[in-house]
Amino acid sequence: MNKAKTFPYFFAAPAILLFLAFTVYPIIASFVLSFQERVAGEYVFAGLKNYTRLWNDDIFWTAMQNTFIIFVVQVPIMIILAMVLANVLNNQLLKLKGFFRVSFFLPAVTSLVAYSILFSIMLQEEGIINTALSYIGITAIPWLSDPFWAKASIIIAMTWRWTGYNMVIFLAALQNIPEDLYEAASLDGANKFKQFFYITVPQLKPVILFAGILSTIGTLQLFDEPFNLTGGGPADSTMTLGLYIYQSGFEYFDFGYASAIAYAVVVMVGILSIIQFKIAGDE
Amino acid sequence: MKKVTGLVSMLLVLSMFLAACGNSGSDGEAGDSNKVTAWAWNINVPVLEEAAKKFKEENPDFELEVVEMGTDDVYSKLTTGLQAGGKGLPDIVLVEDDRVQGYMNAFPDAFVNVSDKGFDEMKDSFPSYKTELLSKDGAMYGFPFDGGPTGVFYRTDIFEEAGVNAEDIKTWDDYIEAGKTIKEKTDTAMIGLDLNGDDGLYRMMLNEQGTFYFNEDKEVALTSEESKKAMEVNQTLKEEGLVKETVGWDAWISAMVEGDVATAPSGAWLYGSITQQGKDTSGNWGVIELPAFEEGGNRASNLGGSNYMIPSASGNADLAYDFMEFFSTDKDVQLSAMEGGLFPSLNTIYDNEAFTKEVEFFNNQPIWNLFATEMENIPAVNYTGDYAVAKDEAVKAQSEIANGKAIDEALKASEERLKNRIQ
Amino acid sequence: MAKNLDVIEQTTNELTLAERQQKKPKRKKKKLKAVWMYTLLSIFLVVSIFPFYWMFIGATNDSSKMFTNPPTLLPGDQFMTNLTNLNESIGIFRVLFNSLFVSGLYVVIALAVCASAAYVLAKYNFKGKKFIFTAFLLSMMIPYQATLIPLFQMMSDFNLLNTYFAVIAPQLCFPFAIFLLRQNFLAFPTELMESARLDGASETRIFISIVIPSMRPALAAASIFLFMTQWNNFMWPLVVLNTNDMYTFPVALSSLMGLSYIDYGQVMMGVTLATVPIIAFFLTLQKQFISGMLGSALK
Repeated sequence: MNKAKTFPYFFAAPAILLFLAFTVYPIIASFVLSFQERVAGEYVFAGLKNYTRLWNDDIFWTAMQNTFIIFVVQVPIMIILAMVLANVLNNQLLKLKGFFRVSFFLPAVTSLVAYSILFSIMLQEEGIINTALSYIGITAIPWLSDPFWAKASIIIAMTWRWTGYNMVIFLAALQNIPEDLYEAASLDGANKFKQFFYITVPQLKPVILFAGILSTIGTLQLFDEPFNLTGGGPADSTMTLGLYIYQSGFEYFDFGYASAIAYAVVVMVGILSIIQFKIAGDE
Repeated sequence: MKKVTGLVSMLLVLSMFLAACGNSGSDGEAGDSNKVTAWAWNINVPVLEEAAKKFKEENPDFELEVVEMGTDDVYSKLTTGLQAGGKGLPDIVLVEDDRVQGYMNAFPDAFVNVSDKGFDEMKDSFPSYKTELLSKDGAMYGFPFDGGPTGVFYRTDIFEEAGVNAEDIKTWDDYIEAGKTIKEKTDTAMIGLDLNGDDGLYRMMLNEQGTFYFNEDKEVALTSEESKKAMEVNQTLKEEGLVKETVGWDAWISAMVEGDVATAPSGAWLYGSITQQGKDTSGNWGVIELPAFEEGGNRASNLGGSNYMIPSASGNADLAYDFMEFFSTDKDVQLSAMEGGLFPSLNTIYDNEAFTKEVEFFNNQPIWNLFATEMENIPAVNYTGDYAVAKDEAVKAQSEIANGKAIDEALKASEERLKNRIQ
Repeated sequence: MAKNLDVIEQTTNELTLAERQQKKPKRKKKKLKAVWMYTLLSIFLVVSIFPFYWMFIGATNDSSKMFTNPPTLLPGDQFMTNLTNLNESIGIFRVLFNSLFVSGLYVVIALAVCASAAYVLAKYNFKGKKFIFTAFLLSMMIPYQATLIPLFQMMSDFNLLNTYFAVIAPQLCFPFAIFLLRQNFLAFPTELMESARLDGASETRIFISIVIPSMRPALAAASIFLFMTQWNNFMWPLVVLNTNDMYTFPVALSSLMGLSYIDYGQVMMGVTLATVPIIAFFLTLQKQFISGMLGSALK
């Protein structure tokens, strides 16, 4: 038996075994659970009941809609901001690069406990953000108590947390774009904006896709921000799929239903990732 | 080839090492027969430990291990353990009033029937609203611990400035009138409410009127007269501009200690938070009973409080019971809880000096006496197993009303949705 | 605020320094551009680190200072008090050690598991390869809340509750790390492997002595993600750990969040301490991290 044939399996074996035990098995178990319901404390087979209930559940559709709005608004804003920052940081003349880089990355490593306490204090109606806004003549914004602003708060908090993270990814990729591409372009008379759209963006396409898919997964499973800042309110306006899964399982004790929602999320992440691939136009 | 197997076996050895370096076996099931494990959150821990010390005098072999965790963490772990069929659970667990019936219904037989073990004899030492909360089909499944008798905490300095006498507030109408005067004279809001996130005031008002999300027959009762009246008070406060919107716990506490609001209707346990967060405001506080809906009506209600339960999966349920029976009925233990900022529901100690003394922080008002007398009048209500869903719907209705929907309409819609959700 | 002003002043100094090195004619335009750049960066800087600054303020002040209006923005003198209190509540050194131990071990083992899998997925052809890789990637889409209960059940069936093995095992095969490493391995020149084979080196040897050394940046990038994941991991350790002496930092911190009693001074001190190691880890590895990400994203 030649080594070259068995070698890959040996090398992949630890990962595959761990994957089977700790990922595949729980996934199957919770998939089975999604066809069960609790009757007098015991789980019994319920067919498609959880899924039909899901189909008729207003909260689920609201959560879906909210998640979609947050996704459509937040991901592009964050990606554009991250690209702008990465571009600025990529400038050779810039000093203190390392300092800026670390500072921008910091929000991604913050501990959730601090994050939730600080943001909920800052976003109060008389909190520091509204105080700062009043200096530039903007009247107090009801950040957490108005359906529209509550969504905005979630988007702002997410953007704060993940922009630097994506920036680091873009920065790495930017440093790999050959300098002569830009030189040739500026000889042809292309200004900075044109250079950005005709050279930088196409060169960054695979990275944007990569960051986009990670953000898609993150947004569809979104839980931390609504859980800590708004609790899904006011009136479900910031209810997300991640939060609804948690509530169904841990607050309403219905893990069968929670699993069904989870699988709906999986299907959607899958679809959205395929769409992103198609838009990006490559494999 | 050898190296590959080498790598794999190295990984295996490492995993074994990891498995070995955890100290398993400390979960009740396999534990030695003298050791009891408890899950509880911060201020409850010293009380348990104090009790264990005293219990040990009679039972020298007894050992208690308290695992300290955040309140929400207790539920996450308890739910996971129960869901997995009683795995990794402690012998004793602390559960709040509003969660008790949810657990008892979702996981029948998951908690030890303490009536069977003789706890019914002590029943009279506790207010009936507590014992009924823990009962199912006539048997009790937990030990009543602290209670949340309600009152209106108010800032004496603000009331004085506005020339309002708090003792004159007898009804919710009085309360609203007082609020208007305070608003006019001092430009301070009367109350901090999280209209989109929590319905504490609404719940207190329901309980005060002897009902809840569910009526005495455990039917959904969001559209009851009582419910409408309570929502009306809520809404009048808002419409008259007496409400400061405080989103979340932190903002609420902040508003109170900063003097941004004049009153806070709440459970007795609020004492701990105010004294801790508002050290500089000592002497500027007072408490009155919750206003009634009509002159002379009931003013006793409850918000919060907790109980100890023994999971059936405990391998040491008998010892856990003996300890908890001692814990629940020993006067000194309960008085030590009192010192720690928890209001005991054991009524045999209410004549103690700890309850009659004047409290400096509250301008020398004997506030504990007020709460103690209130305890026996608190109406028992049905939380039911669907409390969490019902609360979600009630908060939604409250939020919709605050944003302009008519009270009847919003409550009706919520009631319909709630009925659908619990089938 | 004083701190942020310092930073701005500092950046302005740097600016003049940078300017001096420029040739005269372009100077004005460049200077304008630099002003723009630094203004933009400074705004983002303030936004990014202000919450951290405030966290530190909270850690040095009494709990009651957390909610004052206007907010407390200057460091107080309660640093030691909060530190001592926190240590009494959760035992800082023990939980810090636990967290470092768990995260460190996790990074080492997960890196070994993921790197070897990523390597063969990138460089060898074998049956089922595509299927395995796709399965890894797809599994990232499952929300963790859905698999929590079955995993817990499994750990308790094997009597593994309250062990660090249970804490780290479920995430040892970490799809994102495998993905990131695989993309980097793809870039490794196959000719080098071929010539080593001709020299009689075994496959294992090629991996360990030829491929791995050149993959340091990618491994650094992966370890940052792995470390971050484990260091901040909360829900799962909370569920499987059953005694206070086994607690990791986030779990211990969360135990401070009681019902109506929260000492914010302690909590803020705790989160400040919890942030330090992860910043240190990032600072140490950031250069390699950047180039490691580079390899993954562009392939």
